[in-house]
Amino acid sequence: MRIPCPYCGSRDASEFSYSGDATLTRPAPDNADAMFDYVYLRDNPVGVHREYWYHDAGCHAWLTVTRNVSTHEVIDAVLAHDEAAS
Amino acid sequence: MLDLAHIPAFANLRSMGDGRGVIARERRGIAVATVMARKGQSAALAAAVKEQFDINLPLGPHGSGSDAMSFLGTGPGRWLVTHDAGTPRFVDSLAQQLDSLASVVEQSDGVGLLRLSGPALLEVLAKGVAIDLSATAFPAGSVAVTQIAHMGVTLWKVDEAPTIHIAVARSMAGSFLHWLEASAAVAGLVVDS
Repeated sequence: MRIPCPYCGSRDASEFSYSGDATLTRPAPDNADAMFDYVYLRDNPVGVHREYWYHDAGCHAWLTVTRNVSTHEVIDAVLAHDEAAS
Repeated sequence: MLDLAHIPAFANLRSMGDGRGVIARERRGIAVATVMARKGQSAALAAAVKEQFDINLPLGPHGSGSDAMSFLGTGPGRWLVTHDAGTPRFVDSLAQQLDSLASVVEQSDGVGLLRLSGPALLEVLAKGVAIDLSATAFPAGSVAVTQIAHMGVTLWKVDEAPTIHIAVARSMAGSFLHWLEASAAVAGLVVDS
């Protein structure tokens, strides 16, 4: 699998670390039940999914990658920083 | 007081095999720093670098400047700066010049630098680098942060001879040399003094 890093270009997936589901929002720290769900109760989606990947062997940027987890087709990759700013 | 000897990162660089496939030289006495733009200061940083060094700050994985001083794009808002250390305490003065615009971290003793050239260079690097370094995909001026044999490297193409500069963490210099010697021996590795 290759991931098109918006900064570095197309790179092998071994250069990246998978860093979790990008569709979740971290709950307020004092909400213990919501935090439990957020940390431990993971969905196991099929098809197109949005995920965070960290380019640790390259530009050290966090990416939001849209990927079909059934076929491994990578549909899109953007800098998470840019996405958060927009 | 005990005098500390300055030992270059690639002091053990030596020739290997027959032929002149890869020509290697350690770049010594170069000041190196990482520069990271402070939040919201990217445009002001680019303006300051242009004004003070007449260098266009690269926004992508490219290098700007010359062997004397260069800014290499290593990530969004992040650069590796190399300076032929004619100026004493260059990194200190760089930090002052870019004060409040960027975080500047001294790396001169933290990385080893090699200059590599020779007719078999790309063939030899292909044994370790998982990206295309040919002239079409990686023209002169391109910079890549990637890994060779699990060791993080920053490499940039200086010209299409091709000449490639490579920066490796100093603690990895011994292992990197082992990889280079083993990979280049078949084509011949020559140390250019």
